[in-house]
Amino acid sequence: MSPEFSEKIQKKIKEIVARYPQKEAAILPVLHVAQQEFGYISSEEEKQVAGILGVKPIRVREVVTFYTMLNREPVGKYHVQVCSNLSCSLLGAEKLIDYLKQKLGVEPGKTTKDKKFTLSLVECLGACEQAPCMMVNFEYYGNLDKKKIDKILDDLK
Amino acid sequence: MVKIFIDEKSFEVEDGITVFKAAKEAGIAIPHLCYHDAFPPEGSCRMCLVEIEGLPKLELACSTQVRDGMKVFTKSERVVEARKGVLEFLLAEHPLDCPICDKAGDCKLQDYYETYGLFESQFREVKEKREKKAKIGKNLIHDEERCIICKRCVRFLKEVTHTQELGIFERGIHTSVNIYELLPVDNNYSGNLAQICPVGAITDTDFRFKTRSWLLKKGKSICPLCSRGCNISIEYHPGFPHFQVPKKVFRIYSLENPDVNGFWICDLGRYGYSYIDENRLDRIMIKKEEQKIEPTWEQSLQFIAEKIKGLNFLKKTSQIALVLNTWLSNEELFLIHKIFKSDLNVESIFFADRPQSEGDDILLTPERSPNRRGAQEMGLSIQPVKLETLATKTRLLLVFGSSIQDQFSSSDIKKVLDKIETKILFASHSNDLISFFDIVLPTALIAEKGGSLTNVEGRIQKFSPVFEPSGDSLPEWMMLADLGREFGINPSFYEQLKTPEAISIETEKEIPFFREKK
Amino acid sequence: MSENILTQQFSLENVFKIDEYVKQGGYKAVRKALQEMKPEEILEEVKKANLRGRGGAGFPAGVKWGFVPPVDKPKYLCVNADEGEPGTFKDRYIMSHNPHMLFEGIIITSYCVGIHSAYIYIRGEYESIAQRLEEGISEAYKNGFLGKNILNSGFDLDIIVHRGAGAYICGEETALLESLEGKRGNPRLKPPFPASVGLFQCPTVINNVETISNIPHIILNGAEWFVGQGLAKDGGTRIFGVSGMVEKPGIYELPIGTSLKDIINVHAGGMKKGKKLKAVIPGGMSAPVLKADEIDIKMDFDSLVNAESMLGSAAIIVIDTGTSMLDVLKVITKFYSHESCGQCTPCRIGTSWINKIVNRMVEGKGSKKDIDNIVRLASNILGHTLCPLGDAAAMPILSLTKKYRKELESRL
Repeated sequence: MSPEFSEKIQKKIKEIVARYPQKEAAILPVLHVAQQEFGYISSEEEKQVAGILGVKPIRVREVVTFYTMLNREPVGKYHVQVCSNLSCSLLGAEKLIDYLKQKLGVEPGKTTKDKKFTLSLVECLGACEQAPCMMVNFEYYGNLDKKKIDKILDDLK
Repeated sequence: MVKIFIDEKSFEVEDGITVFKAAKEAGIAIPHLCYHDAFPPEGSCRMCLVEIEGLPKLELACSTQVRDGMKVFTKSERVVEARKGVLEFLLAEHPLDCPICDKAGDCKLQDYYETYGLFESQFREVKEKREKKAKIGKNLIHDEERCIICKRCVRFLKEVTHTQELGIFERGIHTSVNIYELLPVDNNYSGNLAQICPVGAITDTDFRFKTRSWLLKKGKSICPLCSRGCNISIEYHPGFPHFQVPKKVFRIYSLENPDVNGFWICDLGRYGYSYIDENRLDRIMIKKEEQKIEPTWEQSLQFIAEKIKGLNFLKKTSQIALVLNTWLSNEELFLIHKIFKSDLNVESIFFADRPQSEGDDILLTPERSPNRRGAQEMGLSIQPVKLETLATKTRLLLVFGSSIQDQFSSSDIKKVLDKIETKILFASHSNDLISFFDIVLPTALIAEKGGSLTNVEGRIQKFSPVFEPSGDSLPEWMMLADLGREFGINPSFYEQLKTPEAISIETEKEIPFFREKK
Repeated sequence: MSENILTQQFSLENVFKIDEYVKQGGYKAVRKALQEMKPEEILEEVKKANLRGRGGAGFPAGVKWGFVPPVDKPKYLCVNADEGEPGTFKDRYIMSHNPHMLFEGIIITSYCVGIHSAYIYIRGEYESIAQRLEEGISEAYKNGFLGKNILNSGFDLDIIVHRGAGAYICGEETALLESLEGKRGNPRLKPPFPASVGLFQCPTVINNVETISNIPHIILNGAEWFVGQGLAKDGGTRIFGVSGMVEKPGIYELPIGTSLKDIINVHAGGMKKGKKLKAVIPGGMSAPVLKADEIDIKMDFDSLVNAESMLGSAAIIVIDTGTSMLDVLKVITKFYSHESCGQCTPCRIGTSWINKIVNRMVEGKGSKKDIDNIVRLASNILGHTLCPLGDAAAMPILSLTKKYRKELESRL
């Protein structure tokens, strides 16, 4: 179970809610805040968010399960999200994915034992001019090759 | 009004209605799965696509509004091909487990496959595996593999009960309907979900695996379990009791009536039907001391008529007492009013009904009988039974129904009844009371007779018998008309009352409320 | 000769900051619009400019604004910055390099339509860009370009940045509205159209980032000038995003109607060394594919429609002969199957079914009949879905199976 939302977070959420004429509209930004805080959205967060926004928890889960960026399970300290869409695959994304699997020792969707890395395959990240690309947490890395991946991951140690 | 053409026939329809509705009014059925008259169009199943002249794409019948001069084609090749395509998609991921599916026979997918399908399956892939048998409510079983994501259930719980127990999770092919965590569907209207599910995704354990829907006959009736007067379909096994089925009635479905119940019924009305089959009183019962009469209708009614006649002759009708109930129809209450109040000036008229209980703000009313309003409008004041009054001055007691035992203990009732010379019980069910009465006459239920009821809002609704009365039972109106004729103040009046309709005509003549409401 | 309109300041390192932006002549358009023009005049000018939507559908912006009914209800602007169409990344450049140009467009649009709250719906992955927008917005408030009584005109406006959370479908305008309202991004049935019943049931204008960013330039330079930059029916430039097997992938702002061949061979530096052109997807992944011999074509709405493709988001994906079209088909079908919202039957089941077949073909277990089946299924999706995602999925599949059938068969 996650800890309750801190006062700081609650204040932030209040500010967010005030931007919308209907409370429920704040659901995505509030979930972003919750995820930033706790790393993922468990049913505890669902219930807390529901309580704050005055909706049933089931409405929050409907939303959480729709959007791929909302994690429903804990992820590693670094969430490595590799684009597997067209421009990136044209430029060798598949080989890089294999390389990452081997290097991190996990299949896509899984987290390394030390909880440091989670590897995910994602659809187009909107950085096709830098294909192949990936995103680690919210940092973009483009024009990837094995050497570059080595350096990026090393720097994240 | 606008003029539109459907399949090259012209129709005058109300402006602004949907093509679906216009077609329905014209008697043209358009296949649909997600659409339900109770909800705004959803447009997601794509079965109701039609061709509209001048529009490049096929359009949805459920959401497209008619325009003057619109030409709609519901059976063109394009339309049929599109529907076939949609159906093929639905069936591709459907488990096709009809032989073990409780919805078989009532399933829209089956029906539409008959009309549009009959194609070979081209699906060679692996179907998605999902939960097949999740209990999602007291009587509800959910099969995710059969679900076609029409969202009728989700919308019902959002828009009708506002309880929102079901939601839509995930997306794409993984989209599913489910409850949150383990919180079940828990409201007094949950049974509607199994009824509105167009496929076998939500089934009802009350019905599941007990029979097959095509073995059942359906009859329109009115739910008597509260004073709303919801329109229902009683689904029963026509072969009972000769066939080896454990009961006659298997299911109650709601019927649409926008003025009364919309599309729904509550779970009390849906599941509370066992009274129709169980513990019924099927025979006339005569107490041993009354050896002179045979247990036949003629002799029993004559016996009662003679008693009444005697008291009337002695100007002692004040020694007659009645205990009524508001399960009696308007016609029956009218006859009682006519015979006992107008003809005989009986004053001791009481009512014993099932005790009131909780209602809600959807359909269920606190009353647990269907015709309280009818009794009031008939000019009968609904007074509770006073045992002392009965004990002191009554010589002839006629009790309709058995709800008196909900209010008094059997021993108290027996004490009072022992003091009364003649006691008659008109009852549909066997119970502790029957041994206290001299004559017990079995009565028909609403489902077994004709007549009308006045609901809580003052709406008069007619009903007809769905099936024959159980055993020797007869409708009370029939007995009352006989009685009226037998005791002889105005026999010709009662002579003509051979149907509920005939009684209804007299009711309207005499009681302004019923005339005006007609 | 046309000029760079939207990208001209991209080389200026600090133009994302308001001081530098103003120094470069920024917010002049807002001053002109709010202090010298009436809303009707702005609407007239934008209509005359024939500014067509840059998001994909190409609907004329002025006409769209004109649909907003004069009702006594709040009105909203939603700026579509979801940019999910594979191959598309132009809006990211606008927002990160020149956010105040976008804000100017938002302010003028809102003033024109009578809007006091504008939401920028930005895809969730663009977190750092969202931050940049937030910073820019607070600068704009401080400088009196946002908030109450902007430039003493009596006009009030707030801009709110709203981040998505990973759903391609939210680029579809009604799904965007649902998402903004805090729901699943399921597209709505139309009609009613957002212009009359949109965000929070109120009249709503939804325009793409690039579309809105053109507005200040139209206001400053006039409709006539704008039309002169592109085509009569299709004014201005487009920011073409080129990716795939080219030497210089990136964005190129060029007049509408520039030849695809030139974009690839001249502007994007031609094919990557040693690679040969095989196919081009000219307008984001949803656009039907063009073969190597079909690229001598003008990049405008009508020319591409004539070639049975579409300009879409003007995202050009260049495919080389070393790439197997079956692999391309796999990526495409995986994408749409993954991004189908699941609401309507043909898209929910059709995209997944096709993807399952293609995966089987990739494993070497396909047959010619499977290709026929894919074509049949895609045709059953096309035109039969609730929103354009079904068509977006079906079109590239149909064109690819048609144009590269032989190759696909050879891979069986």
